[in-house]
Amino acid sequence: MEFLNLVLIFTTAFLVLRRPGRERLAFRLLVISTILMVFLFSVATRTGLLPGVNY
Amino acid sequence: MDQTSSAVPGAHQPLVRHDILFTVLALAILFLTIVPVGMAVFWLGFARGDSPCVMCWEQRIGMILISLVGLFVLRFGPKPKYIGMAVLIAAWGIFMGMRHTGMHAARDVGQGFSTEILGAHTYSWALFIYWVCVVVMGALLLMVRGEHLQTDPRTLRGIERLAGGAFLVVVGANIVQAFASTGPPPFMGQSDPVRFSFSPRHWTWSLEEWNPVRISLRGRWAVHKPGLVTVVSDPAVGPLVNLPPLTVKERKPLKLTLDGSPTDLAYDLATDQFLLTTAKGVYLTDGTLARVNRYTIIDPGFSVDVGRIAGTAFLDAGAVIAVGENKSYVILRPNDQASADSNFRFFLESRDRFDEISRSRFATVRARLLYIMSAAYDPASNAVYTVTVPNNRVKRLIVSRFDRRDLTLSEEYSPPLSPESGLTLGPNRALDELTVTGAAVADGQLFTLSAAYGTLLTIDLGLRQVVAAHAIPGLTRPTGIAIKGGELYIVDAAGMLTVVARPPAPYLLSRYRRTWGTASFGSK
Repeated sequence: MEFLNLVLIFTTAFLVLRRPGRERLAFRLLVISTILMVFLFSVATRTGLLPGVNY
Repeated sequence: MDQTSSAVPGAHQPLVRHDILFTVLALAILFLTIVPVGMAVFWLGFARGDSPCVMCWEQRIGMILISLVGLFVLRFGPKPKYIGMAVLIAAWGIFMGMRHTGMHAARDVGQGFSTEILGAHTYSWALFIYWVCVVVMGALLLMVRGEHLQTDPRTLRGIERLAGGAFLVVVGANIVQAFASTGPPPFMGQSDPVRFSFSPRHWTWSLEEWNPVRISLRGRWAVHKPGLVTVVSDPAVGPLVNLPPLTVKERKPLKLTLDGSPTDLAYDLATDQFLLTTAKGVYLTDGTLARVNRYTIIDPGFSVDVGRIAGTAFLDAGAVIAVGENKSYVILRPNDQASADSNFRFFLESRDRFDEISRSRFATVRARLLYIMSAAYDPASNAVYTVTVPNNRVKRLIVSRFDRRDLTLSEEYSPPLSPESGLTLGPNRALDELTVTGAAVADGQLFTLSAAYGTLLTIDLGLRQVVAAHAIPGLTRPTGIAIKGGELYIVDAAGMLTVVARPPAPYLLSRYRRTWGTASFGSK
C-alpha cells in the first residue's frame, strides 16, 4: 500500500511541476495520499492507537 | 523580478521578501527531501540494507507529503488550503512520532528499534523533524504578503526547479524500495521488516497488518484502577483447595476517627504503635488501635502523584512509608517540632506532626502494568516489599523487593507453591487470581492477605516460595494486615478489625535464616 501511495505522490508532483493546469486534480490526489497515510498508520497501530505510555 | 511588485511605488522591500519567501521554501523542500527522506532511502536503505517498518514508512511518507505541499506553494502560491494541509500533515506527523517513540522511549539506555543516527533512533528523529517543519512553516507564514496570494501558477526559478527535480528522484527511489520491501497493494509495510535487497528472491511481502485484531486506544496500558467491589471473599471457591482455616479471635469496629476507609495496617513492636492509612491519611495509633497518637493528611498531588495510598510499613529509625496504588511513595518521620508552615506543601492537615523525608516512585519491570494494594518492610533484608493485584489486562501475582538504601528494584518474582507445602491448586486455577491487599513481614516470611477468597499466603523470602496458606473465614474486603505477637490484625474497608491467630511457622522458616539472615545481611 505504501508503494501505491508513493506512486500517487509521484503523480501529484508531476502534475504540479509539469501540468500546473491540473491543480484541482493534483490537490485531490494530495488529499487522497494524506488520508491513505493516516489510514495505514492507524491500521498498523490499531491495537493501541495512542502512544503506549503513562498519561 | 516580478513586474507586479515592481509596479507598486516604493515596493522594493516587498519584492525582496517575495523572492526570499520562495527561495527559503525551496531550500526547506530540498533539505526535507534530501536529508531525512533521501538519506533514508539511498544511504540507510540501498547502501546499508535498512528497511522501514510500517510506522516508519508512514512517517517517511508524511515528510514527503509536506515537501509536496511545499511544491504546491512554489507553483500556486501560499493558498490557505495548502497551508491547512501542511499543518494537518505536520500535526499528524508529530503524533506518529510520539506514537512510535512512545514504544521505545522508556527502554534502557541505547536500546531501540532498528538503526541509530547521531545518538538517536530514526523514529526519534521523525518526531524532531516534524516539529522543525512546524517551526519553519510558522516562520515562512510570517513572510507571506498579500501579493503572494496570486491565482495564476508561478514560473519556477532555478532553485525551485531543483527542489522539484530532487523531489521526483527521491520519491522515485522510495517507490523502488517500497515495491521491494512492501509489495504492491494489498500488501503493506511490516512491523518487523526484513532488510532491503535488490534481489527479488529476498523480498518479503506480507498481509499480516490486515489480520483482525482487537482495536484499542491505549492497548496494554488501558489498565483499570484496582478495586474490591467485585472480589469474591469465600475461601472455599479460591484457587487453593482444602485450606486450613485460621481461628478468628475477635471482630469489632474500629473506634478511630479517620478521614476515610482504612487502606493498610502495620505494627511496630519497638514503639508498640500501629500505623494505619486511608486514601490520603497516615495515622499512628496506640498498641490497641484505640487512640490516634498523631496523624497527617498527605497532599497526594504535590510533585509526585502518590494517588490513593494502598500500602504502609514502619521503616528503620522511626520512619514510615506510605505507598500509593501506583507504587509512588512518601516517607515520613514523626517530629513534634515540625513546622506547619514549612510542611504546607506536603500535608493538607495536621502539618506539624511529621516531616516528609522523601517522595518518589518505585519502578518495576514485571509489575510495570500492575497496581499494588500492599506494602511491607523486612528489617532483615532492609527492603520494602510490594505485591501486585490482577487487573483487566494482566493477572499476575508478583512480589517486588526494593532495597531501602536506594529504594530501587532489587528483585521480582512470582512465587510458586513449595513442593513441601502440600498445597494444591484447583484445575485451571492460579495464585494470580488472588488480590493481595495486605502484607507484613515476620521471621523472614511475607504474610500476604488476599481480599479475594480470604486467603493468607505465607511466602518464604529466602526460598521465594509459598510455604503455607490458610483460609480466613468471614472477611469482607480486607485492606490491611499487621502482625502483633501471635496474632494477625486485619482491617477492612468498612472499618472493622479482625484479630486472627497467627499460623504456626512452617519448618522451612529456618532455611531463610541460614540463607539470608547470616550470609547476605549478617549485620542485621
